[in-house]
Amino acid sequence: MTVLSVLAQLSGPPFESLPIDWHALAPEVVLLSVAVLITLVDSIGLERARPLMPGLAGLGLLGALIPVITLAVEGSDRVLFGGAYVVDDLSLLLKAVFLLSGYVIVLLSTNYIAEGDYWEGEYYNLLLFSLLGMVVMASARDLITIFVALELLSIPAYMLAAWRKGDRRSNEAGMKYLLMGVFASAVMLYGMSLVYGVTGTTLLEPIGLIFAEVGTASVITLGVIFVIIGFSFKVSAVPFHTWAPDTYEGAPTPVAAFLAVASKIAGFVALISLIYFGFLGQSDLIEPLLFILATLSMFVGNLIALRQTNIIRMLAYSGVAQAGFMLAPFAVAASDPETSLKAVVTYLVIYAAMNLGAFAVVIALARKTRSGEISSFGGAFQYAPALTVAMSVFLFSLAGIPPLGGWFAKFSVFAAVVNAGTTAGYVMAVIVAVNSVIALYYYAQVAKTMWMDPVPDGDMTPVGVPPSLGWAIVLTAALTLLFGVLPGLLGDVTDSFDLGHLELLAFPG
Amino acid sequence: MPNPLNELLRQYLTVAIFAGLGLAMVGAMLGVGWLLRPDRPEPQKYINYESGVDPLGVMWSQSQIRYYVFALLFVLFDVEAVFIFPWATRLEAYGAFGLIEMAVFIFILALGLVYAWRKGVLRWV
Repeated sequence: MTVLSVLAQLSGPPFESLPIDWHALAPEVVLLSVAVLITLVDSIGLERARPLMPGLAGLGLLGALIPVITLAVEGSDRVLFGGAYVVDDLSLLLKAVFLLSGYVIVLLSTNYIAEGDYWEGEYYNLLLFSLLGMVVMASARDLITIFVALELLSIPAYMLAAWRKGDRRSNEAGMKYLLMGVFASAVMLYGMSLVYGVTGTTLLEPIGLIFAEVGTASVITLGVIFVIIGFSFKVSAVPFHTWAPDTYEGAPTPVAAFLAVASKIAGFVALISLIYFGFLGQSDLIEPLLFILATLSMFVGNLIALRQTNIIRMLAYSGVAQAGFMLAPFAVAASDPETSLKAVVTYLVIYAAMNLGAFAVVIALARKTRSGEISSFGGAFQYAPALTVAMSVFLFSLAGIPPLGGWFAKFSVFAAVVNAGTTAGYVMAVIVAVNSVIALYYYAQVAKTMWMDPVPDGDMTPVGVPPSLGWAIVLTAALTLLFGVLPGLLGDVTDSFDLGHLELLAFPG
Repeated sequence: MPNPLNELLRQYLTVAIFAGLGLAMVGAMLGVGWLLRPDRPEPQKYINYESGVDPLGVMWSQSQIRYYVFALLFVLFDVEAVFIFPWATRLEAYGAFGLIEMAVFIFILALGLVYAWRKGVLRWV
């Protein structure tokens, strides 16, 4: 007997290679290849390759969008890896949101990163890997896949937050984000281990069925609450929001936009998967918890945002409040699963467009004012009328004024909580309404400063807006208007979601 | 029929008890240590290395960042080995699929080394 045959016997049963649906995985494969290509080009070209980087990253993100579109056109749901990875209309829409937000963030970064003394190849490489994690998150229907996606999207983001290496505040931003993120991961992993311990599986589908059957148990309570708390850090919901303002302020502004939009949406995507595919049967547990998180986020975020003088900090606290609006439909998740899920997704899509736009205008104006103070933007209408109009569009959209996109987002949330017909739903509707009014005050205050106040230093030279930044503002403004004027577009997409399983999980038997 | 609010609060009581236990455990460990340990303060005990070299200079001295980079590069190959050894024992069973998978894996890791080399990390200046 040869050594090889002994080894072959020891090595157990023959291996069958997994059937892999390459079409379903094409967006991820394209993103990974482009990220690797960027490192390769950066290694070969060094300084000469620097100007290529943003173009490569942007084209790569648009390239990854192509398979997303072909998959959407084809329209059949694909289930991979034994149910751990699902490509359906819901996940494709979310992938498209991540890829387009990533594209806009590359546009915002192009001049900011090229003009500062920053590492460029590494910046776009990390950005793409983080987006890869988000794209994976959109399809993940398994606790381990969700966790791996979360780490893949978080770890590059910790580094990006500290990208202004010489600046103490940026270091502080990265450190705070890292420590809070790791703490949240630990809490969440502990929760996941408890959920796995009870159910004996990491797949969300069987977990959902078991949770719908067994009713309450202390271990399930602990597991579910820890997992939800872990993701509350990611979406910066009160009382787990404390890192957000400091991190956004210290990080480079395009990275702040990335954290405020893409990273936050990724947290919500994970919450959607976990709650609507796994924990829905535990409605007595999750509804009150998310009700409290949503209410606190809206009130605390809005009330603190009223007092901010720095535009980035204001956007950070407004982001906390917006997270509250997005959490509101979760408070009726089990009473009316379908409407509330669609409301959350609608809000996520529109939030991405309008919040990225607001950050884009801030980056453009800060090129002239060199300051993040709201007062420094005084009289912007006199020297930058187009930017001021665009900023007003984004601010009033964030406030929820028709006919801008934010109006439809708020309307969907409002309709979802009222439609549920529970007492908690009606109370939540009142809270949402009150907070919309509070939020209008500070958004309008910024608009008033830009339109009416005098220019602080009397410097009337126009702002030089680079083409990539201008294109980002046009794109986000067009989308913000489009979703507001034609809300049916998004409604048609969300109506095509295949959500037959929700009834089964929410109302067993 | 039990009061639903009581039911709800009972569920969250689990979390409160759990948090309380967590705090109590930390408190108990530190508390027992505080009770049991002898307390004889001496100035010698406040030195960083009680029986070692006397500390010189300022606390915030900088250490050479290159050690850190080398440690990172070591991890690169360490992780590679962790995956390659188990893979190698079953190479025949995996066949062409396994070979291509590992080639992709090693390519991406090797790219890390190429990157480090081109950025001048391997030079000890």
